[in-house]
Amino acid sequence: MKIWQFSEQAYHPAFQVPGAMRVTLPQHHCDPAEAGQLLNRYLDEYLLADELGLNIMVNEHHAAATCMSTSCMTTLAILARQTSKARLLALGIPLANRSNPLRVAEEIAMVDCLSGGRLEVGLVKGAAYELFMSNRQPTGFMDRFWEAHDLILDALGNTGDNFAWEGEHFHYRTASLWPRPIQQPRPPMWGTASSASSAREYGRRDYTCATFLSGAVARSVFTGYREAYLEAHGRQASQDKLAYLALVACANDRATAFRRAEQMKSYFTTAARLDPQFRNPWGFNAVEANVRMLQAGPSAMRPRMRNGQPLPVDGTIEQYMDAGLFFVGTPDDVYEQLAQFHGETGGFGNLLMMGQAGELDHADTADNLTLVAREVAPRLADLPEIPFEIRYEAVG
Amino acid sequence: MDTGGLDELDFGTLSTVSVRGTAIEMLTAGSGAPLLFLHGLDGLEGSAGVLRELARHFTVYAPSHPGFGGSERPARLDRVDDLGYFYLDLLTLLALDRPVIAGVSFGAWAAAEMLTKEPGRAAHLVLASPLGLPTANRREQHVADIFMLSRQELGARMQLGDPTPGSDMAVLTRLPEERIRRLMRNDEAASLYGWTPYMANPKLGDRLHRIAPPALILWGSDDAIVSAEYRAAWADAMPQAAVETMPDAGHRLHADQPGAFANRVAQFAAR
Repeated sequence: MKIWQFSEQAYHPAFQVPGAMRVTLPQHHCDPAEAGQLLNRYLDEYLLADELGLNIMVNEHHAAATCMSTSCMTTLAILARQTSKARLLALGIPLANRSNPLRVAEEIAMVDCLSGGRLEVGLVKGAAYELFMSNRQPTGFMDRFWEAHDLILDALGNTGDNFAWEGEHFHYRTASLWPRPIQQPRPPMWGTASSASSAREYGRRDYTCATFLSGAVARSVFTGYREAYLEAHGRQASQDKLAYLALVACANDRATAFRRAEQMKSYFTTAARLDPQFRNPWGFNAVEANVRMLQAGPSAMRPRMRNGQPLPVDGTIEQYMDAGLFFVGTPDDVYEQLAQFHGETGGFGNLLMMGQAGELDHADTADNLTLVAREVAPRLADLPEIPFEIRYEAVG
Repeated sequence: MDTGGLDELDFGTLSTVSVRGTAIEMLTAGSGAPLLFLHGLDGLEGSAGVLRELARHFTVYAPSHPGFGGSERPARLDRVDDLGYFYLDLLTLLALDRPVIAGVSFGAWAAAEMLTKEPGRAAHLVLASPLGLPTANRREQHVADIFMLSRQELGARMQLGDPTPGSDMAVLTRLPEERIRRLMRNDEAASLYGWTPYMANPKLGDRLHRIAPPALILWGSDDAIVSAEYRAAWADAMPQAAVETMPDAGHRLHADQPGAFANRVAQFAAR
């Protein structure tokens, strides 16, 4: 299993401000000098991850105290130059927040060049609430997503003449990438899924499929991927095509690990602080998806604990661990928890590890990353491939 | 009468008409001179009360806009400008030469678009709480942004009286599936036509002078969605229209004052 360090790069001093952490939180709560110090600190932690042999994942959000990375390619451009070994994953570039897909392709190519071909790319929809900042049209979004995706891939892999693009949604007189990416025909592609049906698309396309903080649902996501992969390619997907994102708090003793976990937990509680009208802008989700969501009720999308109950947002560390969203303890504990979860989900080859989250400070983060890299990662690297048997369980 | 489970429309007939291959749900009710009614963001069902009142005076034709309620939408019909052409085709299909046209809120915008294109195509025009003109000037907002309000707050602000059932999440989730689907389609269509530029056609103001029939603009006295500046902009852009304010009414004045609204339309159309 490969491990990818990930931090949302929160402006955690604003967590004390009452109310929403996204969209409506006034920007005067941000002290830019402090923001600059924090951003540099998070970059230092990414550099440490590189030194420790971990890989790196970066995301972006907008108008959010929970995430100051407002452009994952800007962050990755820095890391492309300052790291040497790590694979650099953008997961992802939110096309809901991009008006110009050719510009997305240019940034991918430039960062791939800068990094010597270490970039990996997830093109994602983006969080629904981003639409209030980008003001992209919510309706018909997936049509535009796939056209932008196709254009970006055509541009990245083009070795012939420059081309013009007259699509339904995007129009370019000439597409010409200077530079073009080192990795051909393109950097490895990733997608994110929270159900078997959304994972199947990535299986068919041979993309790496990640599922975020989904707990027991990860098994269904991975099974959907593996079924579609086998059908499309005539061979089994290796587990390095599958990724799971969770928080990890590791320390030499359990008391310290749990103290760290408590400091990271504000990631979960602040992520939930968003006024309801911004969660689901009118027209963004398909009508039938909205009908099903309304009928299922608000707790239907929550991860479940082993007793079947929905995980409370303000749940205990133990409850988050029980649901498979948090791995906490000594290196032995964390290895055992991850090995068990690996087996339960049918196996995955990438752990997208939030080794920093919430208010966890630099010293604790550095120790957390060091312990995981030195004492957990080597053992996880030896986890076996679990043979895939189709049991018709990937529903939904 | 068959109203497809929409019991509040049981005074009329809900049927499907094909407008150049697009299946449109349309209520037909009442008797008298023909009146085309164009509903607002609250959908056809949100106008049930006023349609019942209008049907006492007119033969009412009330379609669900393409994409709303049970109406299909052609893939490239995505501007209210397009709706203007679409409804001119509907009038031709129904062999309505010069009906009275009344629209409320979003529907008043669609009605205005129609008549900028064929200025003589109505006998009388009534625009109640019309949207469609630019809703803001840089940082000055003249129309509340419905997409930024919670469902509950929006529901409460739209009229003086009781909010629509979809305004309360607890009620919404317990509605019959077909009702939920209609509401979700209404929301989706509002977003399609009105997300950006927000509830406006920037060119509409330069075209309103073309509208030829006697025209009446009605505002609710307590409209909590549009500002006084916005009402003034409508009066400026359409100097040929009479402007009146209806007391004890919010933005959905058709819901707050269905009887008074229908009487005023009938009186105006009899001029």
